[in-house]
Amino acid sequence: MTSQDASSLKSPTYSDPDSSIILPKRKQDLISSTINLGRRGSSPSLDTLYASTTLPRPASDSSTSTLTASSIFPPGSIRRTASPGPPASTSPDDPRNLVQRALVPTIYVLPSSDTEELMQEKGIQGGLAELLRPFGDNIHGKVTIRDSIGASKSFDDYGVRFIGLRDSLNILKSPPRRSTERRPSTVNGIVEPPQKVLSPLSRLGGDISHVEEVVDRHLSYAESQSQTFSEDYLNSKQTDPEPSSSASPYFTHYVKRLLSGIPLTPHETFSHPVACVISISSRNPNALEELRRLYTATNSEFRLPPWVSNDFLRYYLLVHDEDHDDVAQSQTLYEQMKRHFGLHCHLLRIKSTRCLPTDDDSIKLPLCGWISAGEELMEIQKRVDLNIENSEDDEDPTPCLIDSDMTAIRTFVRELVVQSVVPTMERLSAQWNEQVASRRRGISGRFMSLSKRWTPFGSSSRNSSSPVGGQSSTGNNYDSLHGFYRPDTPEAIMRRLGDFAFMLRDFKLAQSTYDVLRTDFNNDKAWKHYAGANEMTALSSLLLPPSASSKGKVENVDQQLETANYSYATRCSDSYSALRALTLGAELLRIRGSSNADQAAKWNTRIIENRLVGPIGFPIYTERVSSCYSSRPGVGSMGWGSRRRKAAFWNVMATDQWLRLGKSLQAERCLNEATAQYNSLEATDSGVKAFDAIQAFLEDIREVVTASRRAAVGYDEAEEDVEEEEEEEVVEEVGDNMNIRRRGKSLLGGGQAPFGGMDNNALSPMRTNDDEPAFKDENFKDENFE
Amino acid sequence: MSYYFAIIGHHDNPLFEAEFGTSKSGGDGASRFPPQTRYMNQFIVHAALDIVCETQWVNSAMYLKAIDTHPPTSSHVSCFLTPNNIRFMLLVQPHLGNPRASSAVGGRSGYRGEVYNPTAPATEEAIRGFFNEVFGDWIKATMNPFYGRDDRITSPVFRGRVMTAAKKFL
Repeated sequence: MTSQDASSLKSPTYSDPDSSIILPKRKQDLISSTINLGRRGSSPSLDTLYASTTLPRPASDSSTSTLTASSIFPPGSIRRTASPGPPASTSPDDPRNLVQRALVPTIYVLPSSDTEELMQEKGIQGGLAELLRPFGDNIHGKVTIRDSIGASKSFDDYGVRFIGLRDSLNILKSPPRRSTERRPSTVNGIVEPPQKVLSPLSRLGGDISHVEEVVDRHLSYAESQSQTFSEDYLNSKQTDPEPSSSASPYFTHYVKRLLSGIPLTPHETFSHPVACVISISSRNPNALEELRRLYTATNSEFRLPPWVSNDFLRYYLLVHDEDHDDVAQSQTLYEQMKRHFGLHCHLLRIKSTRCLPTDDDSIKLPLCGWISAGEELMEIQKRVDLNIENSEDDEDPTPCLIDSDMTAIRTFVRELVVQSVVPTMERLSAQWNEQVASRRRGISGRFMSLSKRWTPFGSSSRNSSSPVGGQSSTGNNYDSLHGFYRPDTPEAIMRRLGDFAFMLRDFKLAQSTYDVLRTDFNNDKAWKHYAGANEMTALSSLLLPPSASSKGKVENVDQQLETANYSYATRCSDSYSALRALTLGAELLRIRGSSNADQAAKWNTRIIENRLVGPIGFPIYTERVSSCYSSRPGVGSMGWGSRRRKAAFWNVMATDQWLRLGKSLQAERCLNEATAQYNSLEATDSGVKAFDAIQAFLEDIREVVTASRRAAVGYDEAEEDVEEEEEEEVVEEVGDNMNIRRRGKSLLGGGQAPFGGMDNNALSPMRTNDDEPAFKDENFKDENFE
Repeated sequence: MSYYFAIIGHHDNPLFEAEFGTSKSGGDGASRFPPQTRYMNQFIVHAALDIVCETQWVNSAMYLKAIDTHPPTSSHVSCFLTPNNIRFMLLVQPHLGNPRASSAVGGRSGYRGEVYNPTAPATEEAIRGFFNEVFGDWIKATMNPFYGRDDRITSPVFRGRVMTAAKKFL
């Protein structure tokens, strides 16, 4: 009985008799479709962009990581023969890994105009910053960091971000976008059409609607690709009850894009410069003057906003042109540089001629794994346009580099990070820890904060906005008019200390620092800073090894996340930051297992409930709730304390939502997972199927999914090739597809006239339930309740 | 407020289901669940069984109080366990109409108009009274020699009694 029921929920039973009916139509369509697909399906340059999510699902444990590991760095381009995967000891799905790699030091790049010329000649459009960016994803070799106690730890997955200083200033000068505050608009669950023109501003992340759109592109691409191997898909899906706690590649991508291009804001310093690479080339006639000029420019002309500390490391780079200039001359110049500017110098020897893909030893410049969502959209758009123009020869727009150049750049980046950036950060955080933070931590520090709070006895104007310029008479360092602390105030330094400690992965120091800051910011009513400190306290205490955190600590985390969410979303209406805080908090809680997984599910539910995500994020996060629940294993043979019913329920909801978006592939995946979970629940004869409405709903949704999958395979290709339109139409088409559906059903039940009563009540997938009794077979019903 | 009451048997199978509305404060005793989402209530109650399975081993009382919530529909589920492990589940949905509209803007979950508090003593006592009354009726109904284990209860008398209890307490 169980097996019958189980199989009745699986589509192959439906599809077998049915496929013969629609087969003729499909074949005929396939001919026309190959023409279409030839254009849109087989462009390697586009494929690489989607590689992060399109690898076959069963291998998904590794597929999510391969974005950085293999597809971005083609095999051999970066020698990682020793450690093929992402080198961290943990699995790539591990959110700890993700957080650590997302919040990393930012290094600004300020090249001279002659360096930029050289880069243009070389074929790198974006200049030096663009050339360096991919290499910052993963520093080659181990990076050893000493923490505040003096213990050394080495990491081989350390990374940095490179940003062009000029780009960043352009972004800041342009009028502020409202988009971070604006929620992604929901019009009947459909993403609003994207603005066609993506400005260079898109380099800045922090825009949920862009993230949504990127993931939507990935999803559409997956749907279109699945058409080509749908036969395999239909056959292979019975084998897939996989552990559903692993992240869906779309969720991973969503989070990754959410964390890419963190905006430059006063309340956190992750995108504030830690160092600035000032670069000249060997072509420059008076190099030293140019370097001096650029150095002064970082203090005047290219000065970042007043809330960014100008006290960062300057690193001097001499780019030597191997093809045209004399090495000996450059060497002497380099020696001079070292004499004038100290040890933070490097001589980078690269070729200036453009490298063609056909050359020996040429390697494509990998795409940076942490480009912001807007950039990825532009990249996709660029390649789509290119594909349409010349469908014959796939001209790949990515520039190439000679192997020796790659090695040189890699060595440079490693030296920059290991010998300059990390030691500077260690030194600064030790210094701040001693001079600022430790004063606040001890018993005297407590008194200090108390006295600070109570000294202005009588003067009640503490929360009135202070005069311009920061320091108000009330001892409050917060400039509430402009919403920032000046970088030399203890609060700002403490925040930088916390962020530095976090980026150096010294989570204990980070946690204690943020914890002190929380009270300060709360007293000053600096709400965004307060939210940020709460967020980071929660994250860093979750990143500490679990043994160190007791039950009480987890409750604190809960409280901190709550506060962060409230302050971000309600007080500051910054839904991006709120979403980031909750997502990361939930992910880190999830891997803690047991009751924390429940908390994780709660936070993910909160994200959905508060509508922090747009229409695409909605099903993605619903799925995530499900996997939070299913990651709770349960105890003993009865699985005591497991959440399998809840997991299955949320998967069904996700199925429903995917269907509304017309993503039948995803819907099918969720439904299969839910079915497997329900089947695993009860070995006995009733279980969830004893609930008549549930059973009817599940059958219905299964049929709608099957129909729309089949529609995607059979019918879609006859239509035009604009993916989005197609996908949206599937939902409307479902009414149409009911024909197939009925036919499938009647073949199975055998009791009904094939086209009886189907003409005028077009069913949307959501409404079918009402009409269910109209065509429910008697046989079927009996089967269920026996 | 609308209520969905289900008695769940040993194999997670529903033995009895009823929907009704509040009769307190001017309610007419009719449920106002959105019609097309009847399966949602069943799903939510079924999912809440996970929590029951866990709580029943740590809580020795028969009345487990409010054990679960489902925020998207703002439903709360209370549970009562009989000695032979039949589960009485009562789902309460305080907000009618569109529950999402009320919780639209981020982070507002703290103060949302008139809040239904499932852990308020008055609410808990009302539900306890309802469960106790139904428990008595249920024992009488299952005493019927023709009633088999895990059979559905079809008796109209029992249904009538449940409705009376609902009117009296909820």
